[in-house]
Amino acid sequence: MAENKIYGAIAAFKSDTEILEAARKVRLAGYSKFDCHTPFPVHHLDQAMGMKRSKLPYFIICCTIAGFTLGLLLQWWTGAVDYKLVIGGKPLFALEFATPILFEASVLLTAFGAVFGMLGLFNGLPMFYHPIFNAEISKRITDDRFLVSIEAKDPQFDATKTTEFLQSLPGAEEVQLIEA
Amino acid sequence: MQAVANEFKIPKENPLAKPPLIEGEQSFSTLTEAVSVVVEDKTPRNWYIAFAISVLGTMMLGGMLGYLVFTGVGVWGNNQPVGWAWDITNFVFWIGIGHAGTLISAILFLFRQKWRTSINRAAEAMTLFAVACAAIYPGFHVGRIWLAYWLFPLPYNQGMWPNFRSPLEWDVFAVSTYGTVSLLFWYVGLIPDLATLRDRATTKMRQMIYGIFSLGWRGSNRHWQHYEVAYLILAGISTPLVLSVHSIVSFDFAVSKLPGWHTTIFPPYFVAGAVFSGFAMVMTLMLVARWALNLQHLITMYHLEVMNKIMLVTGSIVGYAYSMEFFMAWYSGNMYEKFTFFNRAFGPYAWAYWTMFTCNVVSPQCFWSKKLRTSIPFMFFISIVINIGMWFERFVIIATSLHRDFIPSSWGYFRPSPVDILTFAGTFGLFMTLFLLFIRFVPVIALAEVKAVLAHQQHKAHGHAKH
Amino acid sequence: MANTHGSYQIKSEVVNRAKPIMLGVAVLGWVGAIIAYFSNHDQFFSAYLFGYYYWLSLSIGATFFVMIQRQTQAEWSVVVRRLAETVMTHFWVLVPLFVPILFGLHSLYEWTHTEVVAKDKLLSGKSGYLNVTFFTIRVVVFLAIWCFLSWKLYSYSVRQDTNGDPKETKRAAWLSAPGIPLLIISASFASIDLLMSLQPHWYSTMWGVYIFAGGGVSFIALLILIAVWLRSNGILDEVITVEHYHDLGKLMFAFNVFWAYVAFSQYFLIWYANMPEETSFFVNRKVGSWLGVSLLLAIGHFIGPFIILLARGTKRHPVFLPVMAAWMLFIHAVDHFWIIMPVRNPNGVAWGQIWMNIATWAAIGGTCGFFFLTRLSKHSLVPVQDPFLEESLEFENA
Repeated sequence: MAENKIYGAIAAFKSDTEILEAARKVRLAGYSKFDCHTPFPVHHLDQAMGMKRSKLPYFIICCTIAGFTLGLLLQWWTGAVDYKLVIGGKPLFALEFATPILFEASVLLTAFGAVFGMLGLFNGLPMFYHPIFNAEISKRITDDRFLVSIEAKDPQFDATKTTEFLQSLPGAEEVQLIEA
Repeated sequence: MQAVANEFKIPKENPLAKPPLIEGEQSFSTLTEAVSVVVEDKTPRNWYIAFAISVLGTMMLGGMLGYLVFTGVGVWGNNQPVGWAWDITNFVFWIGIGHAGTLISAILFLFRQKWRTSINRAAEAMTLFAVACAAIYPGFHVGRIWLAYWLFPLPYNQGMWPNFRSPLEWDVFAVSTYGTVSLLFWYVGLIPDLATLRDRATTKMRQMIYGIFSLGWRGSNRHWQHYEVAYLILAGISTPLVLSVHSIVSFDFAVSKLPGWHTTIFPPYFVAGAVFSGFAMVMTLMLVARWALNLQHLITMYHLEVMNKIMLVTGSIVGYAYSMEFFMAWYSGNMYEKFTFFNRAFGPYAWAYWTMFTCNVVSPQCFWSKKLRTSIPFMFFISIVINIGMWFERFVIIATSLHRDFIPSSWGYFRPSPVDILTFAGTFGLFMTLFLLFIRFVPVIALAEVKAVLAHQQHKAHGHAKH
Repeated sequence: MANTHGSYQIKSEVVNRAKPIMLGVAVLGWVGAIIAYFSNHDQFFSAYLFGYYYWLSLSIGATFFVMIQRQTQAEWSVVVRRLAETVMTHFWVLVPLFVPILFGLHSLYEWTHTEVVAKDKLLSGKSGYLNVTFFTIRVVVFLAIWCFLSWKLYSYSVRQDTNGDPKETKRAAWLSAPGIPLLIISASFASIDLLMSLQPHWYSTMWGVYIFAGGGVSFIALLILIAVWLRSNGILDEVITVEHYHDLGKLMFAFNVFWAYVAFSQYFLIWYANMPEETSFFVNRKVGSWLGVSLLLAIGHFIGPFIILLARGTKRHPVFLPVMAAWMLFIHAVDHFWIIMPVRNPNGVAWGQIWMNIATWAAIGGTCGFFFLTRLSKHSLVPVQDPFLEESLEFENA
């Protein structure tokens, strides 16, 4: 099997404590292109992997502002510019009565930003094929196994050395190379 | 080390420590098994029976609505002076039911109440179905349902725009936003669990369907990071959203000048009432589901007791609002205000008022007693009593304020028509149909979240064992 | 993690440094208050009610906070609970300080003027509730309830420091269950009696909730400031961590959003229905410079803090968070100023007499503060034997 067809190496662990330790060791060993796969978000794993805080909130706040602005323009332009009609003696436009819809519009776009930003923009989902699925053990990620994967693209990656390194981690099982 | 991690004991050091949220000897894989089996096993016969009854109810609903569309809104009992009656009562009732779902999933998440994980999935689903049932009523009450798109600000050829000064227009935005955001919140929570079903699937068909809906989720921690942020923010915005929805529903009444409707406490009072009724509905459904699906170790007595306490609190808040309204009606010195409240309690609708008061304020007070609070038959009974009481609350607010307004010559009394009654019964059919489908095809327990709780519980037991 | 017992005690030099300052503030305040009384006693009584209710609302907020934590057996808050319990005991000082208001009833409340009431149909209809005897009885009952609750909760907690009996925690939870509704009802009616009846024709069912929510926000702000003050003196700096700051910041933010929700709902429903008997409250607060104060409240109490506290960084920042907390305490004063003073000065803010408000605020605040410091040095600063202390110390935001 040629080197370039390899996606990377994986190792499976049985508990969240083991994966935490493993992730820390992989990072300290100098790897940067690696990932952990867990059945649930493991506390402190971000720090163990040396990840920075998510930038998603910045994207979401922009969506919130967009929602607020759109809600404001919609109510002001339709009521006070395009179709002027006095109803119930109320002003054509006032912040008081605009507030409920301003709020709803902001919330709606915030939610869109959070969900679609998270899935599409930040996580690249849907992605129905991924090399990790080639390993039989990956079926248990969503059950009770915690996986570490080191990509072949990592400058430090070396099929034999990395496999040996993974094998040396406490609790590592099913250490294997997987195809791309 | 693993041996220690797999057992859970109440740490001896703290006699007041809360009971574990997950009972029995559990591991991650037994949890997966317990939750997935509900969806994967052969459909039980009782499910088919229940489903058939529910579908019949839904068909009845369809028939009633069809009759209304072809005949006119006059088939309902609404008439002057009670122009809003069962339709709006049912609308507010169903929307209120939905609110507990959002409360459990969002507010309790923000308050780090880990016990929510066992019930939040089902509660969120309940929200969605309740919103669907609710939306039917105002939708059909507008009469010409085929013109319902007029409610939205669409640039169609008449050159008109919706009236944004109307609380009914705010409702359109509030309810549709609420429905959409609840759906997204629910779906985001579902993705990892759908991936579990995908990975366990034994048939190609299941693998495909769950595969598509789980979007290729692979549990990557680089994904979990953004996922958790998005989930937190969704919870963060759902909290004010749920407040806003019922507040806006209360604005339908409170912005008017009608005594009995126009009172400033309405927004928080409606929200508390919604949470109250919603929890009662969650309780009714969860008790049935817990028993039918054998989920006693996940939905424990601790969960039920906490929910009963919440009902006690919200029931008392509702009682506070009833009393404050009465006091202010007297204090205001306004003769119409005084009359409306006197008429509510002692007029022709006194039976409805006192039913409401007994069910909502008096009955939850039984939960002060630990014995009653932990008795399953009793809490089942009370949860149904509260559901009835909260329906009456909306009916009392709507009908008693309208039926005797300023001019005695135009006073009247509302009687529901058979179509009213059958339509309302039909929405229960729709609700149950959707709920049964949900139980059959989607994991009823938020698996990934429960696993996180289990891990936390293990660390706690482990940490204490170390001392 | 192992803290020695001694480090939970306040250092005596810190108290000894702060006490004279607090005493000075109180004395200056009382001198100012006395001068105010003799220069314009009507204006003085309004100012005194302002100062009094301000500090009262904070103690009500503290009692509510303590009871909620007790009832839910919250873990994260154990390390700051003793501070809240100490603020709660201000009631014992506030009882004697209520007496001057009894002497000012005639200046403050239109409904005490029998000749006005006799001519006014609405007011005479209310005279069964709004009369001096019943008013005094009610206030005495409210103060008795609050003193009882705070005394009980405080002594359970302090007793546990020495006997370490987990039953004390149970007792506190047991008392809090009926205590919470009792507090809410008494506080609502207190706000109706003392504040809403300043304009006896006006009414709003939301009023009690509005005042209660304001007290809640500012109590959390006060708690943050106390924690920061202790930490800046090297006390509890390993116990109260940035995680507790973050949580208190979130709580302040949430309470403030709730306050804004209640305030907006009340204003909005009255604005929309536009009925003269209700709009008077807000119309009076649009006159002259009161309009500016109203806008300051909208922006300074809600919009500004909302945007600033939304960021995670602010809530965890050692400078920004206390600055925001101080601001919330200031704007809470503006809120109460805006509620009370327009009745006395309907044409606009009486700029020349604001010093009276400052003096009474400082007088009552300084007295409470002095009492607070005295109490604080008598006991451990955290409930050392609380069964949940360990969880609170290890607590971390997800």
